[in-house]
Amino acid sequence: MEAEAAKFIGAGLATLGMIGAGIGVGTIFGNFLSGATRNPSAAGGQFTNLILGAALTEALGILAFVLGLLILFS
Amino acid sequence: MASPMEQFEIHKGLQLPTVELPGGLLVDLSLNNSIMAMLIAAGLVIVFFEITTRRAAVVPGRMQLMAEGLFSYIDDMAEGIIGHESRKYFPYVFSIFLFVLSMNMLGLFLAFTATSQLAVTATLALMTFLLVLVIGFARNGHNMYKLFVPAGVPWYMLILVTPIELISFVLRPVTLALRLFGNMLGGHVALKVFAGFVFSLASLGAVGVVGAVLPLAGVVALTSLEFLVAFLQAFVFAVLTCVYLNDVVNLGHHH
Amino acid sequence: MAAEETPNAPGAAPAALDGAHAGTAPAEHGGGGGLPQFELQYWGGQIVWLLLIFAVLYLLMSRVFIPRLRRVKDTRAETIASAVAEARRVQDEADAQAAAARADIEQARARARTVAAEAKAKANADFAARQAEADARIAEDLAAAETRIRGLRDTAMASVGDIAVDTAGAMVERLTGTAATAADLRAAAKGAA
Repeated sequence: MEAEAAKFIGAGLATLGMIGAGIGVGTIFGNFLSGATRNPSAAGGQFTNLILGAALTEALGILAFVLGLLILFS
Repeated sequence: MASPMEQFEIHKGLQLPTVELPGGLLVDLSLNNSIMAMLIAAGLVIVFFEITTRRAAVVPGRMQLMAEGLFSYIDDMAEGIIGHESRKYFPYVFSIFLFVLSMNMLGLFLAFTATSQLAVTATLALMTFLLVLVIGFARNGHNMYKLFVPAGVPWYMLILVTPIELISFVLRPVTLALRLFGNMLGGHVALKVFAGFVFSLASLGAVGVVGAVLPLAGVVALTSLEFLVAFLQAFVFAVLTCVYLNDVVNLGHHH
Repeated sequence: MAAEETPNAPGAAPAALDGAHAGTAPAEHGGGGGLPQFELQYWGGQIVWLLLIFAVLYLLMSRVFIPRLRRVKDTRAETIASAVAEARRVQDEADAQAAAARADIEQARARARTVAAEAKAKANADFAARQAEADARIAEDLAAAETRIRGLRDTAMASVGDIAVDTAGAMVERLTGTAATAADLRAAAKGAA
């Protein structure tokens, strides 16, 4: 197999890591929403925690994405 | 057609002398587009705050209300996370937030996003990390080890917990830098790729021009999403700075 | 600041310094790290400039802008707090005044009650005294009248004996034809009585 092709395949595989991050962020926002509809008065105070959790989860996806770009452009 | 990565290339502008730092490092101080973006971003923040707070009154005007809104938003956030000692660290958090926000937002107007340069985000992250370390050692001294040894955890769990805590602590600046960098990079690459679709579809002829409406709508939608991301990432950077500061400021006693 | 020095002379840069440049994509096979972000020759300048810019921004923020906003916010909070305290003070004052007025009214009412009671007592005493006086006068009158009646009755009773003697003397004379002695008659009348 050509090295060039392998590189593209590798970059594609590396970005698969974003799937997990996508699921994670979706879970966080979904659970926040279901909690917020049950107790809307407590939702406002948890906004910072929501963003924090989403950011921490998303970081892993971003890591995979950057890795993919690194493979693609190296 | 130009690569979507072209937007991140640095072009040298005004030539300035190369200085030698104490460590023997040679640093080329020439201005380039990244430095210009930073200068404009910081300048905009300073001008904005100078205009809005020059005649700060108890009853705020329209402009002052904007500055106060930002101020209160971050102040409340910092106080909620750090507690009553947040006022000491608030200027740093607020400066970081405004600087990152300004650079992110400028990236959507100018052709260059300073926060999509790993050098910039890594410096900001390392600066925050070092600040946390300095404050931590200054306040807690040798008690800093408690950061990695959570209270009330049995010793056999500590064998597992301490390395994890240590690694996650050391990785903090890495994730902090990569999160901002990756978000900005990814967003702008996606924008450029979609814009490239518009161009290549439109060059196919009449059918292509009609079809190009789809990626064009995509670019518009993505741009609005990027505005959200630009704000959110600046906010996340500030929140995480507060969280890391809180770890060392309130070490041992949870409020 | 040197912000105004826009990149006006891009061509002046020595060609030897910049490696990959614009035009065609430098990626794919560009030497050493394809991403433009990894061209380490630009890192030093960015880092130093970033630190400088951030230091200026931080100093301006912490020395000028944040104190201004903080002062305004604190003044506002103070104004509101003092206004609230003032309102509370005025309210308390009004409450105290109302309480004082209520106490005044209560006192006046009590005084009125005592005055009324006094007047009543005085009237009662007056009345009682006058009644006692009247009673005494009446009793006196009564006693005088009774003594007079008793005197009249005594004299009447005393005359009854004489009448009896006279009557008895007259009856004895009519029946016997002889007049009985007055002593006998009196003794007989006494015995009959």
